[in-house]
Amino acid sequence: MNYFLEFPELSKGVIRAIKKSIDTSFREFSRSYGDSIEVIFYPLKFFMNWVEFALVSAPWPLTMLLFVGVIFYFTRDKILCAGSILYMLFIGVFGLWEDTMYTLSLVIASGLLSVAIGIPIGIWMSRTTRVQNTINPILDVMQTIPIFVYLIPVVMLFGLGKIPGVIAMTIYAVPPIIRLTNLGLRQVGIGMIEAAMSMGMKPWQILWTIELPLSKKSILAGANQTTMMSISMVVIASMIGVQGLGVPVLQAVQNQYIGSGLIAGTAIVGLAIILDRVIQNTK
Amino acid sequence: MKKTLVTFAAAAVTLGFVSTASADDCGDVTMAGLGWGSASILGEIDKLVLEEGMGCSVTMIPGGTVPSFTSMVEQSQPDVMGELWPNAAGIDLYNAALEDGRMTESAGQSPIGGVAEGWYVHPNILEAHPELTTLEAVLARPDLFPHPDDASKGGFVTCPPGSGCQISNANLFNAFDMEAKGWKMIEPGSYAAEDATISRAHDRGEAWFGYYSAPTAFVGKYDLRVLDWGVEFGGQENWNCITKPDCPNPQPSSWTGSFVRTVFTDEFAATGSAEAQSYFAARVIPGPVMNSLLGYMDDNQAAPDEVAEYFVENYDMWKAWVSEDVAAKLN
Repeated sequence: MNYFLEFPELSKGVIRAIKKSIDTSFREFSRSYGDSIEVIFYPLKFFMNWVEFALVSAPWPLTMLLFVGVIFYFTRDKILCAGSILYMLFIGVFGLWEDTMYTLSLVIASGLLSVAIGIPIGIWMSRTTRVQNTINPILDVMQTIPIFVYLIPVVMLFGLGKIPGVIAMTIYAVPPIIRLTNLGLRQVGIGMIEAAMSMGMKPWQILWTIELPLSKKSILAGANQTTMMSISMVVIASMIGVQGLGVPVLQAVQNQYIGSGLIAGTAIVGLAIILDRVIQNTK
Repeated sequence: MKKTLVTFAAAAVTLGFVSTASADDCGDVTMAGLGWGSASILGEIDKLVLEEGMGCSVTMIPGGTVPSFTSMVEQSQPDVMGELWPNAAGIDLYNAALEDGRMTESAGQSPIGGVAEGWYVHPNILEAHPELTTLEAVLARPDLFPHPDDASKGGFVTCPPGSGCQISNANLFNAFDMEAKGWKMIEPGSYAAEDATISRAHDRGEAWFGYYSAPTAFVGKYDLRVLDWGVEFGGQENWNCITKPDCPNPQPSSWTGSFVRTVFTDEFAATGSAEAQSYFAARVIPGPVMNSLLGYMDDNQAAPDEVAEYFVENYDMWKAWVSEDVAAKLN
C-alpha cells in the first residue's frame, strides 16, 4: 500500500469497533440512568403542560386581549399591536389557533430555559479568558452539529414529545445568548468598574448595578437571536412528535400541498416577527 | 449568426445525447439514493451490477420517497427509483404519474419479497402475557401499554404526519373503536423517531405497540410480532375510504396488500439500456434474504455498499438476473 498516495485508514474492523462501543455505552447509559434523568425534567414538563393548558383552553378573545396587552406594555407600539391582532385573526381563521398555541408554549419554555442557562454561563465566561476559551468551541459544536445526530439519542433517552423537543431546541438556541452576554459584559468600560471598585462596591453589586445594565442591549440582542433560533427549530421538533405548527408543515411537504405549507409557514414567520419586534423594542 | 450557432450547438447536444442514450453500451444512469435500510442496500446492489457488470456510469442522487418521486415526475430525474412504496408516495399521485406517461413500472413485480404492513408488538410483552398475539387481546389491555403523556390510557404508535399509513391508522383506530377502549395515539413525527421509541422500549424492557412494516432491520433484529387482525379484509371500497382523511364510517379491516415497485422515468424506459432494464425486471430479493442483509448491516454498522459487496460475494441468486457475461465480470 502506498501511504503517500492513499491516506492510511484504520481497518474497517477497528472503525466498526469504535462505532459499536459508542453505541453500546450510550445504550448502557440510557438503560441505567434514563429514568433518573427523566425525573430531573419533571418540573419543566409540569410547567410546560401548565402553560400549554392555559393557552389552549382559555377562550380565544381573552388570549388575544392578554397578548395585545403584554405587547403594548412592553413596547408601547400601536402599529405592532394592530399587526399582531391581524396575525391572530389570520391564524384563527385558517384553523391554526391551537397549533400556534402549542408552538408558542414550546417557544416560551425553551426561551426561558435558554435565558436561565445562558445568562449565568455568559457571566461566568466573561470573568476569565480560560473559561471563555473552553466554552467557545462547545458552543460551536452546538450550533453546527447536524440536529439529527442528537435528536434521535434524545428520543431514546426521553421518549417522544415536548421534553425532548424543548431540549433539542435549547441545545440549538442557547449559544447566541451565551455569546452576547459574554461580549456585552466584556465591553463595559474598565473605567466604570474601577470607579465602582474605588467606591468599595462588592463584585456582585458591580455586576448587578453597572455591568448588567450597561450590557442590556447586547443581552437583549442575544435573547432575540435565541428566540428566533428556537422558532426556526419548530419544524424539526415536530419530527420527534412535538405538536404545533411544524406538523402541518411536515404534512404539507410530504404530500406536496404547497398552499397549506405556505399558510402554516406564514404562521410560523408571523410569530417570529412579532416576538422579534417585542424583544427588540422593549422599552 | 449568433442564433444559428446556438441552434447548431443545441442540435449537436441533442444528437450527442440521443446517440449515447440509444447506444448499446449502458451510458449514464441516475438513481434515487434512498435512506432507509432495504432501499439503500437495493440501490447499492443495483449500482454495483450496473457499474461493474455492465459498464454503466451510475450517479446516486440523494432523496427520499416524496422528493425523488416528485423530481422523477416533474424533472425526469433521476432515471430509476429502486424501491418505491406507492402507498407512501400517495397512491393517487402514483396512478396519475403512470397514466400521464411520466413514469413506468419495471416489468418485474416487487423488487423485494415478504412485504408486509401491519400493527406489531415488541415480543418482550409476550413473556408475561403470551395471549397478546391478536389485535383483540391487545386492545383489551391498554393498561399494559401506558401512553407517555397520559398513563391512564394505552399508547399506540402511529406513522409520521403526511404519510399514507398515518391516515389509514387513524381510520382503523376509529374503526376498532379504540378511543372508547382506552387508547390514545402516539405521534412519532418521523420514521427515525419511531424507530427510537422501539429501541427505547427494547432497552428498558417496556411494552411497545404500533404500526410497522417489513422487511426492515427492526422486525428482524427485535423480532417484532405482527398482530392477527382477527377480521377479514373489509373490501376495496372500505379500504379506499380508510386511506382518505375524512372517512365518515370506516369499518374494521385487515391491512390491504402492500406493494413495492421499481420505477423508471418514461425517458429511461424508452431510451435507457435494455440490458439494465431486463436486470431490473429480474431482480427480486426474497424477504428472508433482505432481513438477513439488514441484520448484517445492523450488526456490523456496515455501509450499504459494503452490504452490496457482501451480497454479491455470499449469495448466488443474482447470477440468474444478469447474462453470463455480466456475471463473469462481477465475479
